[in-house]
Parts: sequence; C-alpha cells; structure tokens
Amino acid sequence: MFDPSWMKRWQEAVNSNRPMRWIGKHFTAKLLLGFGDKQFVVSFVNGKIAEFTDEIGPETCYELAVKGPRTSWEKFCQPVPPPMYNDIWAMGHPLHGRVTLEGDQMVMWQNMRAFTWALDRMREI
Amino acid sequence: MAKIEPIIGRYIWIPFEGEEYRIYYEEAGEGIPLVCLHTAGTDGREWRHQLCDPKINTNFRVIALDLPRHGKSIPPYDWYKENDEYKLTTKFYMGILMSFCRELDLDKPVIMGSSMGGNLCLHLAEHHENELRALIAIEACEYSPGWHLDWLSHAHIHGGETCATSVFGLMAPQSPDKYRWETWWYYSQGGPGVFKGDLYFYSVDHDFRGKTETLSGNVPIYYMTGVYDFACTPEMTEETAKKTKNSECIIMEEIGHFPMCENPEVFNNYLLPVLDKIRAS
Repeated sequence: MFDPSWMKRWQEAVNSNRPMRWIGKHFTAKLLLGFGDKQFVVSFVNGKIAEFTDEIGPETCYELAVKGPRTSWEKFCQPVPPPMYNDIWAMGHPLHGRVTLEGDQMVMWQNMRAFTWALDRMREI
Repeated sequence: MAKIEPIIGRYIWIPFEGEEYRIYYEEAGEGIPLVCLHTAGTDGREWRHQLCDPKINTNFRVIALDLPRHGKSIPPYDWYKENDEYKLTTKFYMGILMSFCRELDLDKPVIMGSSMGGNLCLHLAEHHENELRALIAIEACEYSPGWHLDWLSHAHIHGGETCATSVFGLMAPQSPDKYRWETWWYYSQGGPGVFKGDLYFYSVDHDFRGKTETLSGNVPIYYMTGVYDFACTPEMTEETAKKTKNSECIIMEEIGHFPMCENPEVFNNYLLPVLDKIRAS
C-alpha cells in the first residue's frame, strides 16, 4: 500500500468513477498526501487525478497537505473502517488528530464533497 | 391501497420574548408526549421513522418540531437586518422549546434530543426538572468543542454541500446508504449560516463542565451515543454520564451521530427499552 503502483490504482479508480465526473467537475487542486514517511503530490484537474509524483523537492508546490501515520491510512482504507478513521474530517478534527491538515484549509472545505468521494475510492483498490 | 403515513403536520404560533414564531411540527400517536429535537442545521424530518413506528406511537404522542429558521419554521421577520450573524443560544433554545410545550399544553413531556438537542437536555435538567418526565440525551455530553467554524458559512464555499459532507463521516459505515444519503440531503437544505449558528450553541454556549455533578437527579437522563460519533465520542458521553445522578448510559454499536435517521431499525431497538422504562416509572 501507498507505493506508486497503489497510487496508480487509486488514480484509475478515481478517474473511472462515473459520479466523480459531476461531483468533481470543479475540483482542481494540488494536494500533498502523506502516508507515514511516504509522500505524494497529487494534481486533481476537474475531478480527475491528472498526475501524481513522489519526487518532492524545493520547487514542488501544493496547496494543502494531509499527513498522517501509515496506520491511520490503513484503517481508513479498510472496507469497514473503525470509528474515528472512517472519514477525512473525522481523522483531521482537532479532537482526534489522526491526520494533520496543513496549508490552505479552504481548499478542503471548498472541495470537501469531491475530495472525500475521491478518498473513498481508496477502499476499492 | 395508498401508502399513507400516520404523520400529521401543523403550524403553531409561539410567543417568546416579544416575538411570535411560526413553528412547524409533525406528530403521530397518542399517549405520553415525546418531543423530539433535531440536530444542528437540519429539521424534524430526522425523526420520521420514530413518528411512524407503531411500537413507539402506540404509547407515545411523538412530536417533532422544526426550530425557527429550520425546515418549515420561518425565521423572525427581521432576520435579514439583524446586527449579528445567527447564533443559537442556550437561553433561546430552551425558552422556545418550553414555550412550545406550554402552548401545546403538554403534560410532563419526555424530551428526546440528538446532538445539540441532546446537549440541551442538561440545561433542561437544570432549569425545568419539575416540568419534564424524562430526558433522552442522544449523542450528548457536557462539552463538545471544535465545530463553530466559519467554513460552514462562507461566501466562497457551497454551504449545502459542505455542511452535509462535513457530517457524513459522523455516520457509521454499517448504516444503510439510503438513510445516510437521506440525512446528507437534509443537511444540504439548511438555510445559510444556520448550521454554523446552531453550532455556536453546540460548541461554545453549551459548556456544562462543572455543573453536571450539581444536577439533582430528579428527572432521569438516558444518554445514548453511537460508537462512530467523532463529535461526541462514547468516552465523552460516558464521562458526562458518570457525573450525572439518576442517569443511564447506553453506547450503541455500529451507529453514529444521527442514529434516529441513519439507521432507525438499529436505533429503535436501543430506544424501545428506554421508552418502556419511562412508561413504567
């Protein structure tokens, strides 16, 4: 999990998802997803994952970083995730802190429906 | 044969603090008044399953109201020129509810509230214990911080979709999709700023810390919380219940913050024994 081949399968799951075509129509953003010590910058363009990279350097730009320990994401990806791990806002809420949200928080709130829909596809791969 | 539900909806004008509020409520059944309080930012539709359940409405007159600004209850006429953004306060919430009960001439009703309605139960126990038969505080605790957020009422953010999605994860993955997405739908229909304004009560004005242990216990409180509730976790409810005299704490498996509407079958199985106890008391 959480290696480039897994990311590729997630990309395909998101991009082939029919409802994502209308739910994500206006979802364009660059996000950093941190799974423990493995990080990817993911470019969403109109609800599709146009590209992702794990080559992150001083010139890599993104708007929002969502980082958490690998165990948090593993629980999130279970077919029936346990309490407090079933949703990005559940994990990111300050009461729990299973993941951290850093950067332009508005990106998440503006695109919350499409973003959570895309993340839910992680349970299909 | 037509499939018609037993729910009847009506409007009532409630005088309160110099205003008159046109409040919509639905009811079904006969017996002990059971007044149901919806969660923040939505309305009484959340209780449709309990209103219709003959195991409940045979012995209880189930009543679900929409607070002013919610559902079919209009805001006060001057809402558009108020000096401050909408913020639900304990004083207003408790006052309008008790006025509603008095106008309907309800005799020692049971109040069953969820989330902010559950939190209100603590204040009702403090101020109105002699007027109430019992309190069912669902997804409730003495302090529930972290939800009064500008993101929920922001010109650059789609309020309906974002408010609804922000609460979706509060529901358990085991709950049926049809009911979870129905709840999402209710949330998408709240008026602008109403969810955030309600959460002022939920996360700010409702701070019962230091007072829970002072409640007399004259009115029983039944706490009921689902394990998937990340706003008011089972631990938060249990801590509050431990301090509450004459209370019972029920932790509900495989259900979340909206038990009555996200999984009514599971919730009603937890609720019916509570109602039996109230009837027997």
